[in-house]
Amino acid sequence: MRIRCPYCGERDNGEFSYLGDAAPQRPDGLDASAEAMHDYVYLRDNPAGTIRELWYHASGCRSWLVVTRDTRTHAIESVEPARDVARARRSGEAA
Amino acid sequence: MSELATTPVPSSLWQPRGAWEGAATRGRHGASAGAAGIRLTLREGQGLATIIAADGREADLQAILAERFGLSLPEAGATTFDGERGLVWSAPGQWLAVSPERHGLREWPAALRDVAAVTDQSDGRALVRVSGRSARALLAKGVSIDLHPRAFGPGRAAVTSIAHIGVQLWQRDAGPTYDIAVARSFAGSFWRWLEHAAAEFGYEVV
Amino acid sequence: MTTLALQSAEPLGSTAHDQPFRTASGGLIDRNRPRDFTFDGKRLTGFHGDTLASALLANGVRLVGRSFKYHRPRGILTAGSEEPNALVELRSGARREPNTRATMAELYEGLEAASQNRWPSLAVDALSVNALLAPVFAAGFYYKTFMWPASLWEKLYEPMIRRAAGLGRAADAPDPDIYDRAHAHCDVLVIGGGPAGLSAALAAGRSGARVILVDEDFVTGGRLLAERREVGGGSGAEWAARAVAELQSLPEVRILSRTTLFGVYDHGSYGAVERVSDHVAVPADHAPRQRLWRIVAKHAVLAAGAIERPHVFGGNDRPGVMLAGAVRTYLNRYGVLPGRRIAVFTSSDDGWRTVADVLAAGGTVPAVIDTRTSVPPQLRRMAEAAGARVVVGGYVAGTKGHLGLTAIQVVDGYDSTETIACDGLAMANGWNPVVHLDSHLSRKPVWNEAIHAFVPGTLPSGMTAVGAAAGLFTLSGCLESGARAGAEAATECGFSAAAEPAPATDPESEGHTPLWRVPRPKGKAFADFQNDVAASDVELAHREGFRAVELLKRYTTLGMATDQGKTSNLAGLSIMAELTGKDIPSVGTTVFRPPFTPVAIGAFAGHHRGKDFRATRHVPSHAWAEENGGVFVETGLWLRPAYFPKAGETDWLETVVREVETVRARVGICDVTTLGKIDIQGPDALAFIERVCANPFATLPIGKARYAVLLREDGFVLDDGTVARLAETHYVMTASTANAAKVMQHLEFCRQWLWPELDVQLASVSEQWAQYAVAGPRARDTLRRVIDPGFDISNEAFPFLASAEVTVGGGIPARLFRISFSGELAYELAVPAAFGDAAWRALMQAGLPYGITAYGSEALSVMRIEKGHAAGAEINGQTTARDLGLGGMLAKKKDYVGRLMKERPALTDPDRPVLVGFRPVEPGARLRAGAHFLALGAEPSLEADEGVMTSVAYSPSLKSWIGIGLLRRGPERHGERVRAYDPVRDADIEVEICSPVFVDPKEEKLRV
Repeated sequence: MRIRCPYCGERDNGEFSYLGDAAPQRPDGLDASAEAMHDYVYLRDNPAGTIRELWYHASGCRSWLVVTRDTRTHAIESVEPARDVARARRSGEAA
Repeated sequence: MSELATTPVPSSLWQPRGAWEGAATRGRHGASAGAAGIRLTLREGQGLATIIAADGREADLQAILAERFGLSLPEAGATTFDGERGLVWSAPGQWLAVSPERHGLREWPAALRDVAAVTDQSDGRALVRVSGRSARALLAKGVSIDLHPRAFGPGRAAVTSIAHIGVQLWQRDAGPTYDIAVARSFAGSFWRWLEHAAAEFGYEVV
Repeated sequence: MTTLALQSAEPLGSTAHDQPFRTASGGLIDRNRPRDFTFDGKRLTGFHGDTLASALLANGVRLVGRSFKYHRPRGILTAGSEEPNALVELRSGARREPNTRATMAELYEGLEAASQNRWPSLAVDALSVNALLAPVFAAGFYYKTFMWPASLWEKLYEPMIRRAAGLGRAADAPDPDIYDRAHAHCDVLVIGGGPAGLSAALAAGRSGARVILVDEDFVTGGRLLAERREVGGGSGAEWAARAVAELQSLPEVRILSRTTLFGVYDHGSYGAVERVSDHVAVPADHAPRQRLWRIVAKHAVLAAGAIERPHVFGGNDRPGVMLAGAVRTYLNRYGVLPGRRIAVFTSSDDGWRTVADVLAAGGTVPAVIDTRTSVPPQLRRMAEAAGARVVVGGYVAGTKGHLGLTAIQVVDGYDSTETIACDGLAMANGWNPVVHLDSHLSRKPVWNEAIHAFVPGTLPSGMTAVGAAAGLFTLSGCLESGARAGAEAATECGFSAAAEPAPATDPESEGHTPLWRVPRPKGKAFADFQNDVAASDVELAHREGFRAVELLKRYTTLGMATDQGKTSNLAGLSIMAELTGKDIPSVGTTVFRPPFTPVAIGAFAGHHRGKDFRATRHVPSHAWAEENGGVFVETGLWLRPAYFPKAGETDWLETVVREVETVRARVGICDVTTLGKIDIQGPDALAFIERVCANPFATLPIGKARYAVLLREDGFVLDDGTVARLAETHYVMTASTANAAKVMQHLEFCRQWLWPELDVQLASVSEQWAQYAVAGPRARDTLRRVIDPGFDISNEAFPFLASAEVTVGGGIPARLFRISFSGELAYELAVPAAFGDAAWRALMQAGLPYGITAYGSEALSVMRIEKGHAAGAEINGQTTARDLGLGGMLAKKKDYVGRLMKERPALTDPDRPVLVGFRPVEPGARLRAGAHFLALGAEPSLEADEGVMTSVAYSPSLKSWIGIGLLRRGPERHGERVRAYDPVRDADIEVEICSPVFVDPKEEKLRV
């Protein structure tokens, strides 16, 4: 597989390491519930189709990336810097 | 306690050891016919530092670099050099500053206070310059990125790996000449790969 | 043609009389460059430009090997990479290479080849009696025959089968050659150098696109070299040579000859292996033997051609029976007559071309047998004019001959049989497009009824199939489709390309109706030559219910081994289709996977073998350690000094005991550079550290260090280390050697993904700083001689857990931390790595008056066990902070990674095993890590298991073996005795539970 890092360009998948589903969001703060944390840590969708997932460009720029990929064909729709995605999410929460 | 025991050890002991020492041997190696296709220049004693911009301070960093050091921040995958002094893009908001003198970056931490974290890496990397007519063919054995002039030329930089060893490489001229930085502890293994890959072209180490 | 022959100034040597089956002229061989070689020790001569197969045939050698199961005599079936029979051992000694296809081995001076799978000799093979036991060796024999008693498998059945059924022998010495790897990138990758591939490469290359043409042959041209065809007014071979010359003149075109594209991978990645030096006896100075290419292409044009299909009839495996296309290749390209009287057995018009070619080369054609009832009259007239007996609507039922073909038994349309003498038989049953490569990404080929063959189905994105690989079998179709696809591919890459009109070709007819197997074969009719699978085996599989295509393959081994069924798959499928009453596409095909042809493991390994299998990291004191006899141990990628034997010390334990005792009584230094070191800077550095560490840091003042424990979000311990505060917003964190990279990745995850709002900068400084532990009562005295005057490191000014930026050697910046892993008065001194070697030597000299020792990872480990510090064996991904006795230090009033999940009932269960210490009850008894704890008198069982001993050491301080481990309710049970039960090493020892801190439990030594 080839993944187009938004910073480094297209690279072999051997340069990346995989984490998994990018959907779960960490329930931050002292008032987060154990149930919500449990879901964040353990519950994952495993679709046959498009999924947004976290990859780490370990042998490159060390960016965490959100890769939108079709699990059936490996076709990659988009690759975004995870930090940008996370910031956008935060500003959405704040708004 | 004897007097001897409290005196400092002789200052003559404090000699730096080159990152390639014990790994690289100067001279002509590999295939012996004709002119060497590869020239490997060991670059010891460079000043190196990681520059990481503070959040939202890239413009300020850019301004200070231009004013104080006459350098501009390269974009992703690029370098800016003034002679042998320059900046190599490393990661988003992060650059490797390079100086031909070991202490050439001494003023940077203070100059960039609050706009960037400056971390000395002068000893953390082993640097080698790769040139010669077969330089591109040599590197193609190690890096999976495209080094063709249409894809990568002077002023381009990449962070990738060679033989499972992380490297930062940037092209200096169209010769082509490349500089490669590799983590110091890997210098021996990296050199073994370099010898293996360069042997068929014939190479000289200077 | 002769103008194309490879030119040479070598004097005339061998002549045709040495090679009785060499034609008088013609071919792409260089008759001025004879090549001596040996086969089974016999000295023979061929020419430059030959393959081993063509040279053997030129010398009249038809018997080349014995078959896999039945040891039947086998010859050469093909002229390409699909060869199932002619597998030989090439070279000798360390370069001996088994299972090499003689059809792919380029002849060179001095080539040594040997036949395989025969004993005592090729002509007299004792094990050919296996053929008499054919019923035993039929499909599924492994599963049926040697079932009982099972105890005989290892000692009797397996060695017997391995002797009887097998291929060549691997070399038993290390391969002396170099294997290389390289990456290549292009706009258009053309796979195959035949008419279609050359046309595609020309069309794309002329546009200025970057083109790579990969061709497995050593002369580029594919079938153009093998057929007597006209292209653009000249011979096909001449046109190919001109095309190659033009491609070579284009700066952005690279031709990789002798290169097999073996795999297609996602997103335009391809694997290929170049046989750089396989065609010479010994690679040139420092040249690699083979090179593995990883190619990335925006577009690929698949022009891999097609493979001809054998007929399935009795004795179709007899040496002398050959694919018709291969016969023409030997005639036209190599100037070799595979026989003097060659009959033709065909189901297609192109088989008839063989007739003219045999005649042109000086052979005779005794008969042409066409399975079709109607053939174009001009073909028939041509054959009859040459004196051939023409049988239409008939078939070859069987063959005769001991070690080679002497006659065929022909059945005509009226079912009468006649025997026709011949020494060669060319079979033409149509062609199968090479659909392997386009199927590698789990894509299935589809059946094309018009050409009776599978053709590429949905192609991988960016791939186009052309020419015979797409089922276009005419030369004009190959030229035209190749040029069009090459131009389109270049255009898609942004180049301006147009397909020029294809050059004119001579007329051709392509009628074809395959006969999948003959109605009544005489003798064994093979579907798969390499695996000795006959039509009757497919019938057996059908009778026994193994009808699905995947089961058929596994049960009969059809399509397995080195050729992966290139000539046999369709034969097997078509028979199964007939038996089940289905059509061929309903039977389906098996999945094609890489590699297309076998690839040497050495090519995959490249540089990475032996010591270079993976990278090795050296510590800054490495040179000193080597000079001083240090013994190293691999820790991850690091090579760490484990201990430093002194003269007279006889075993490692003696050395380690001396090192530990010296540290505890005097002073020692240990290289701990392998720790991960991460600079954490920025206004939110503290907030970040608070969230990634489980213990509090808000109160950590500048100039202090603190033990740090990091949890995973699921509540288990990730790693431990220290955090020191160097300045207001500048910290440095250490991580354990094993987890350094993992921790950095985790911190980046926290910074980028969890809390992107934090303004914090992370920089790994693991490589920048050499770091040495200086430990023991005289540590301070030693350091005072190394640290520049002016830095007060007295106990008052620099107490336990102090940290400071200091200088050494007259101004070299350094970092000093008063932290201790050993439990002694100890420091860690970090200096710039270039001064690591100097600092080590300086410390050794500074400590000389105090009796300093260097100590390695072994002594380090002994001392940490004596102090009950958890390390890798305890921080194993299954332990919580509480399990490790660290529960009390965790923060209560902040959010951090792992905070909530560590409170799960299962992780707070008071019955969980917790870290405690152990001493043997019997003095001197040896403890073993890995032993399980059982209550005294309990029967060993999972239910009775109370925990596990994680680390043990011989403690010089206690003069006894000691251990630490995880024991259920351990801390409540000090003084109690349990069994340390280790059935693996036959140990069952009674131990007493104690505190895990064996030395200086009040921590007085740390603080002096």
